[in-house]
Amino acid sequence: MNSYKVNSRLLSRFNSLISQTQRYLSAPAEVEIDESDKKLFESYIKPKVEKIEEDDVKFPPIIDNSEIGKEQRKRQRWFDKIRQLGIVEEKIFELNMPKYYGWKINKIEEGVLPYDPLPQAQYITRTHLANTVNLPKYYDSVLSAEELNSLVEKIKNQVKDALVFEFYYRNRDHEYNSEQLNDKCFMDNVLAKNVSQQINSILISNLCPTNVHLIDTQIDIEPRIEAFWAFGGLEQPEKYKKFNQFCNPRIHRRYPERLNQYMKYIGKPILHLRHNLPLKEIISLKDSEDEKLDIPINKFDLRKMGYFQSRERATIIPGFWPGDYSEFGFLSYHSIGHLKNRPEQFNDNVDAIIAQAIFGSYSWLYTQACYQGFSTFQDPTYPLVNQMILTNGQLWNFCVYQLNTTTMHQDCIQTNPRKNICWVTDSMKLFDRIENGEVKGFNEDVLRNLIKFYANVPQIKEGVNMKPYLEKEKLIANIEDSERRIWLEEQYKHLLSNRPRHKLPPEQYHYQWIYVRKFNHFLPWYRKSPYDKGINVYNRKLDDHTPKYIPRCLRTNRKLKWGKTFYPEIEKKTPKLTKNPIFTLW
Amino acid sequence: MSTRYYPLYQKGNPQLRIFLPNFWMKLVKPQFNNPPNIVEFHCSMQMTRLDIKNYLEKIYKIPIIKVNTRIKLGKFRRNELNTVIKDEDIKVAYAHLPRFESFEFPNMFAEQRANKVKDKQTEKEVSEPLKKKIEEHNKYKAGLPLWFQ
Repeated sequence: MNSYKVNSRLLSRFNSLISQTQRYLSAPAEVEIDESDKKLFESYIKPKVEKIEEDDVKFPPIIDNSEIGKEQRKRQRWFDKIRQLGIVEEKIFELNMPKYYGWKINKIEEGVLPYDPLPQAQYITRTHLANTVNLPKYYDSVLSAEELNSLVEKIKNQVKDALVFEFYYRNRDHEYNSEQLNDKCFMDNVLAKNVSQQINSILISNLCPTNVHLIDTQIDIEPRIEAFWAFGGLEQPEKYKKFNQFCNPRIHRRYPERLNQYMKYIGKPILHLRHNLPLKEIISLKDSEDEKLDIPINKFDLRKMGYFQSRERATIIPGFWPGDYSEFGFLSYHSIGHLKNRPEQFNDNVDAIIAQAIFGSYSWLYTQACYQGFSTFQDPTYPLVNQMILTNGQLWNFCVYQLNTTTMHQDCIQTNPRKNICWVTDSMKLFDRIENGEVKGFNEDVLRNLIKFYANVPQIKEGVNMKPYLEKEKLIANIEDSERRIWLEEQYKHLLSNRPRHKLPPEQYHYQWIYVRKFNHFLPWYRKSPYDKGINVYNRKLDDHTPKYIPRCLRTNRKLKWGKTFYPEIEKKTPKLTKNPIFTLW
Repeated sequence: MSTRYYPLYQKGNPQLRIFLPNFWMKLVKPQFNNPPNIVEFHCSMQMTRLDIKNYLEKIYKIPIIKVNTRIKLGKFRRNELNTVIKDEDIKVAYAHLPRFESFEFPNMFAEQRANKVKDKQTEKEVSEPLKKKIEEHNKYKAGLPLWFQ
């Protein structure tokens, strides 16, 4: 026990009070006390509180007031803003708002895969690879065996004719120059494109009478597909690691262990088939939370694996603009011609095909989910399915992909139990060789798989709100205020065009870095650039600029000097008039 | 191959001269946290990626998948005369081994470091009782100049 020295002179002042309280406590009922004293005692002694049942009590949430907690809440506010925005384009617009010059992204291009890409691809997209070599069991119930066989025999000869035409009779000398004709990778891509277009038209024309849903499908040839998502599971970048090591924790805040890295996928599919209804799910969302579905972990920086970084906008395009009637994927064809350019010693073509399938179908489904109102920061409430074909005309790979999650940013990478799932078949040969205008060693299993894909009927999801995070307007085109509608449409299309800024970011020359910044050879008034002031140029916000100037002859109000801006906001405020707007201009 | 020329023989010169090649490679401890199948080298500035690959494959029989190189900027610093100078650049090569193989940079001076720690401990054991003795001796002589002690 701690013992304290008591000042006796001070204590004597309270003697009367102490004796009274002791009396009051020992026998409160018997001793008569004045009411004025009673109030005094009650202020010292705790009144008895009646116990309240726990169910009735509502405590406010306990807020983490540490630096890390504050940062996390700041991020959460931004996620909530994206969720609450009611228009598809505005949500994608909001992703661009923090960066005036664009995000620094890890660029993943289709057909440019590094050595051993599969584990990284699975980890970045959070996909589990199913163990089976065949298609999932759901496809056995799509068509009966008799129907399949009859369809195969009906189509077989037409496919053979198309193959003979493309591989044997068609002379491409006048179509391409000699350099392109000798380039194996280029010619493989050309063959893949021609053969898959032929087979697609044969299958659709033959299956249409029995499968009515094929009439409603839309076909895109070589559509534009770009996806942008945040990933928080990679290691800390070296820059921050070094800062944390040497910084003074009393002055500077240390960077957290997990930081968001931004990925961008740029795809080059041959064909897309789209439908107005989604495909039926293969596994329910609850099953995707199973712990047995494992994902390899590869935390290394993407630059160490062979990808590159660049500064670009957050673009999300699934091959069509928002507002299209048929907005769910049905089937996609991709070329594997790039394997011809891979060095022989790599010896990982099987993995490269699977990685291509994972990146391609994840990003197409993710962009479709974005058009339904979900994003990298909001999980979809129902799964989406894609069927994918990877081919070079002779070799055929079939892939089925189910998208269950899209959220994998730094706050939820550890807590999110859901996984995406991918089924890939082994590569099958459609034929062995073509001699004298005849196909030899024709493989009917490839045709069977193809027919199963086309006969898979998209269905309405009953009792599911497809667009829970969207308002009634849903699109820019439905906005009534014409000024806002036109401004948003122009700006949105300009953002997605991926053009750099008209004025490039200020540069720091090497002599400045050496003599001004490092060794301080110049006098202080030479230090004018933002780098010398300690400003990070690339953290400039998108709306940090002077608005458009309105010439005097066009003004309705003489005082309205600057044009309006309609950057996405939850509360639609009326824009304020500013006489002298202050913006950072360097 | 060496770019040095073989001088004319004159009396008193050595009978045979051996010129080492211009190409050299130095295995170094990786600067960053790399994947286990990547080995880091410093090499001479003239070497290209193909040279590095051939060097490792032909001389040391190491299977190499691909090689990346970069030039690391030398440090800027002040010398004794307080002028700003720059150290020499270094060419860094990252050699990729086949994916299921791994290489770990050896900890070569583990024994010596352990011995150093041991030596320090023994020093302490010897010196501490002496220190205590001196402290006790000087306990009541605070502020007294050394000459009087």
